[in-house]
Amino acid sequence: MAEGINGFSSPRADVFPAGLRVLVVDDDPTWLKILEKMLKKCSYEVTTCGLAIEALDLLRERKDGFDIVISDVNMPDMDGFKLLEHVGLEMDLPVIMMSVDGETSRVMRGVQHGACDYLLKPIRMKELRNIWQHVYRKKIHEVRDTESHEGLEEILMMRNISEQSDDGYLFCGGDMTPGKKRKDAEHNYNDKDFLDHSSIKKARVVWTVDLHQKFVKAVNHIGFEKVGPKKILDLMNVPWLTRENVASHLQKYRLYLTRLQKDDLKSTDSTKMQQNEANSRIHEVDLKGTTTTSLQTIESKKILTGYAAKGGGGGGGHHKASSSNSNIGISNSFGSTQYPRFNSTVPSDQYSWNTGFTEFQFKQEQHNQQFHVENGFTNLGLPTTLQQQNQVNSINNLMPRFQPPDPWTLKDDTSINNLELSSILLQSQSQQQHSSSTINLDMQKKSGVPDFNDPEVSPSLYDALRFDYDYPPDSLEYPVIDQGLFII
Amino acid sequence: MDAVSQLQRQFVEYTTSLYREGYLDDQFTQLQKLQDESNPDFVVEVVTLFFEDSEKLLNNLTTALQQENIDYKQVDAHVHQFKGSSSSIGAQRVKNVCVVFRNYCDEKNLDGCVLCLQQAKNEYILIRNKLEALFNLEQQILQAGGSVPMMA
Repeated sequence: MAEGINGFSSPRADVFPAGLRVLVVDDDPTWLKILEKMLKKCSYEVTTCGLAIEALDLLRERKDGFDIVISDVNMPDMDGFKLLEHVGLEMDLPVIMMSVDGETSRVMRGVQHGACDYLLKPIRMKELRNIWQHVYRKKIHEVRDTESHEGLEEILMMRNISEQSDDGYLFCGGDMTPGKKRKDAEHNYNDKDFLDHSSIKKARVVWTVDLHQKFVKAVNHIGFEKVGPKKILDLMNVPWLTRENVASHLQKYRLYLTRLQKDDLKSTDSTKMQQNEANSRIHEVDLKGTTTTSLQTIESKKILTGYAAKGGGGGGGHHKASSSNSNIGISNSFGSTQYPRFNSTVPSDQYSWNTGFTEFQFKQEQHNQQFHVENGFTNLGLPTTLQQQNQVNSINNLMPRFQPPDPWTLKDDTSINNLELSSILLQSQSQQQHSSSTINLDMQKKSGVPDFNDPEVSPSLYDALRFDYDYPPDSLEYPVIDQGLFII
Repeated sequence: MDAVSQLQRQFVEYTTSLYREGYLDDQFTQLQKLQDESNPDFVVEVVTLFFEDSEKLLNNLTTALQQENIDYKQVDAHVHQFKGSSSSIGAQRVKNVCVVFRNYCDEKNLDGCVLCLQQAKNEYILIRNKLEALFNLEQQILQAGGSVPMMA
């Protein structure tokens, strides 16, 4: 078939849903075996995974290698919901969550995080038979989003299959009537589209690492609160990308950030610590591997792992004392003010209190490059106010002599309640810069000298924070900070 | 009645009693349905996995409850896992103990937890013994040249 049709470029397209490529993730070996057997009986192609991180690696290695992911909610190395987010954002695959726990709140969380279904264990085979509908549904919606001819072709193809063999629906236990309605709706839509579109075929948009990096850069440059698809598109300078592509990606990105924020607000328990530790281990391995190379040339896999580490712990588990986002704020303040190609002082100029800190931050930046490495994604200045607080807390924990002034803390508290993304981001950007600079303020207060260029301060400040790391901060180049480790 | 039929009847009766007494639930039947020629030992393999996993979990639980400062969230996580895994083979009574166990964890009730742990261990040993007996019967039937009756 034509290239670019995700998941259907294999010859199995004509026997859909047989051959559906499913990835099952569950830490329970018994369930893994049972699910594998059940899915095989549905004529699906099954791959199993016992760890979330393994699953992410697999998905990244084999891009377009899977059609759908089924994952348990409780896993030791990464919260199932986080995995869900990652998959949705990076691979844009439908994800089904499973759990033995059917509490409404949990199911709701699953849906909020983007699960297309939530199954309760023990799972029956008939429930698994119908999972192909989620793949199909996504295809249809994506076609509408990206307005791609290729997608339309897929749908037409699938429709033909279903028309040819009504058994298809029966086999899947589906009802004929909804199927027909679906067909009719598509039919109208398809015809209309064919008339409207030009004959130029557009490839289906796959958000690669590079592409997403460009996206993040653009967003950062514009300023998250002012961002819009058109502006991003212009900055990204990718000729074949459409405004719609960017718009839908931006939407997902925003949702991701909101959810991370909410998650971080809730996460304080030991499982998070475990995850953070696991993540920090992964991340350390990753960082060591990337020490001497420019981030731009880093293999995508390494970046991805770093990103997984960050995502899994909500931002890389450097600090075991608190949620892993503690260092994000610090690095974000640098990230958001420093773009090699763009005017890096623009954002900082927005805040008059910040101008004095720019230089300090630049100096700090070197020490913080390891934080940057995995925080590319969050360079937007994740609006998680708890991050700010955690950051402040962690700084407190590590260096008790630096007490952030109360007004900052208060500000953190109030902003936690404010869920408006743009305003949060506004605050967060200022706060991040605040937080790192609160330390400066303190020092300033104590020393009575507004000298932010004091080199002695920075090493001690950040040495404590980077006790996890071995590699020298100087080896990373400054310009590569924001290459964005948010991987797609 | 020849040996095979006798064994088969024993098998049916035993299995029925297991369901009736709540040791096993429908999930076990599902497992048996999954077994086929391509995978004739499927049920035994799955159940073996369950045994291994359970013993690990029970050990973890024992350790967790012996700590000076008990981390109830951790204990709850283990119980949750155990509940999930017992539901995989239909070990109903074990699963039921887990439900009660989790409530005690929520209340941070140490005595309740210790009690539940003991019950969980007991139920686990019971189901393990019964399933082993069942598999033995199956083996005997097969060796006698018969086929294992399918439970409806």
